Amino acid sequence: MSTVLEQIEQEISQLSAKAGRRNTGTIRTIADGVAKIDGLSDVMYNEMVQFPGGAIGIALNLEEDEVGCVILGDVSQLKEGDEVSTTGKLLSVPVGKALLGRAVDALGRPVDGKGPVESTESYPVEKIAPGIIVRKSVSQPLFTGIMAIDSMIPIGRGQRELIIGDRCTGKTTIAIDTIINQGKINKVGLASGDPKFRPVYSIYVAVGQKNSNIVRTIATLEAAGALEYTVIVAAPAADNPANQYIAPYSGASIGEWFMENGMDALIVYDDLSKHAVAYRQISLILKRPSGREAYPGDVFYLHSRLLERAARLEGKGSLTALPIIETLAGDVSAYIPTNVISITDGQIFLETDLFNQGIRPAVSVGLSVSRVGSSAQIKATKQVGGKLKGELAQFRELAAFAQFGSDLDARTKAQLDRGSRIVELFKQPAFNPIPIEQQVATLWAMQKGYYDSLDLSKVMPAAASLRDFFATRKDALLTKIRTKAALDAELEAELKQAADEWKGSFGS
Amino acid sequence: MGPRGKQIQQLARLLFRLSLVDGAVSPERVAGVLSYVASHRPANPVGVLRAYHRLVAESLARSQAVVDHAGDVSDATLQNIAAAMAKRYGRPVTAVARRDPSLVAGLRVRVGDDVYESSIAGQLSALAASV
Repeated sequence: MSTVLEQIEQEISQLSAKAGRRNTGTIRTIADGVAKIDGLSDVMYNEMVQFPGGAIGIALNLEEDEVGCVILGDVSQLKEGDEVSTTGKLLSVPVGKALLGRAVDALGRPVDGKGPVESTESYPVEKIAPGIIVRKSVSQPLFTGIMAIDSMIPIGRGQRELIIGDRCTGKTTIAIDTIINQGKINKVGLASGDPKFRPVYSIYVAVGQKNSNIVRTIATLEAAGALEYTVIVAAPAADNPANQYIAPYSGASIGEWFMENGMDALIVYDDLSKHAVAYRQISLILKRPSGREAYPGDVFYLHSRLLERAARLEGKGSLTALPIIETLAGDVSAYIPTNVISITDGQIFLETDLFNQGIRPAVSVGLSVSRVGSSAQIKATKQVGGKLKGELAQFRELAAFAQFGSDLDARTKAQLDRGSRIVELFKQPAFNPIPIEQQVATLWAMQKGYYDSLDLSKVMPAAASLRDFFATRKDALLTKIRTKAALDAELEAELKQAADEWKGSFGS
Repeated sequence: MGPRGKQIQQLARLLFRLSLVDGAVSPERVAGVLSYVASHRPANPVGVLRAYHRLVAESLARSQAVVDHAGDVSDATLQNIAAAMAKRYGRPVTAVARRDPSLVAGLRVRVGDDVYESSIAGQLSALAASV
């Protein structure tokens, strides 16, 4: 009890040591989470402003005789004439490993009912992206666990890869799959005790999402055992636009902590279309001039400064970003999609037609690209899947022609047959990422024609059976593929022996 | 603020600049401005005068230290405060005392937007915010 009293006395003595100075202003108008304030002559751009009742604002518009502030928190108690004061601080969020497994709001306050976040460090929400000299080129792979992506559109640590598509095409599922895969890899890697193993920590930023969706995502991650390596930053649809505007930057700061401290992190922004809409709302209420589609002039900078914070740093860690954009009727030439496409290092384009045909993940191979290319792939994947993208592109072209004629030469028929088998092979259920060594084995069997004799509808079950066979009986071989990361003659011989063994058991 | 609001602000700022002599508001100039507005009747004179009033009030508040106090404050203390503020801001500042029992004890000095707080009420609210 006495220590508690001492703490309070210490606090009082600190406070009563000298007169405190604060710069104040009064609320002139307040509407839709934005306040116009008279006074605040010393306020700085992006400075936190203290409102009565504990609400925090950010000074976004510094005009000649008034200050425009967005308010993070409850505005219902605020009224015209209330006094506000500057804090001299930039908005910051708690960072560190204590956040792993937690769900926090845009200001880093826990929203999961698991008690306070035991974090000792904090980072400013807005930070200038790393410069040229400190960066290193992207060359280490980040496995999504999705065969179509890891083999054809590889993602590297420190890359920004956009996931774009219409509503209900599986954009979030790809991101969640990737997070789950990181959790699985982390578990295996940390258990192996390999000193060179670098775990990937994930941050999932939900902007403008339904609360029910966020809860479902958390439950999925928890069930897959990936939540302990993940931080959820939630600014749901019911949150005010200021929180939705800040949330991606808060998530980026949490990710930067891992990067700055020599670790690797992955951040998912779900989604930046809603983020742009929240920013548009704030800008319109702040009376900033509007441009195309009523977005303000700096909407490009809004996303470029966010995505530039993803990087791989020399001598430190990396931050990989997977922003998500929702298109309307597949229109990738709209304002926000073209902006984000031009900022990122490639995109995974998901098509409604493919999704409805049952090709899931509905990755459109023609429109998807990774500008980092095969430098972010392990050699084994290059060996077995290097030509897949070309083959699939050829298949699509031939399939379009084949619709018009029935007389096809044997070679075309063979190409079509092979293409449809590849498409079948890439079908993958949601939340079921495949480890890279199993992907290599599956694609190797494809390359060597192990599925050629099968009926098309049997290709997917056959591939699943092959993976089961390898996982249960050939674990040592899988470990070898994972650690060597390349197929040599000896490994290929072992693969052939194992695949023959499987073929015998599958056929029977 | 629409284009009309901007025009009002611009006119109010112009009138305010005309009211200054050596950076301080001059009562004669203010009287001149008021008679000009009365005789020339710009569009929305009430809006213009309200904006003008705000600018003049802000300017006057910058050269006045309002000392809120719960207990008694002597003239010497007021003069000391005025001198300290004049030195700090590099402009003449006059001190005005105002009784405010809600402070419990101590002083609160306000010069323009700046508030210097050394009162029990201020400390209690700071303590409440930090706990």
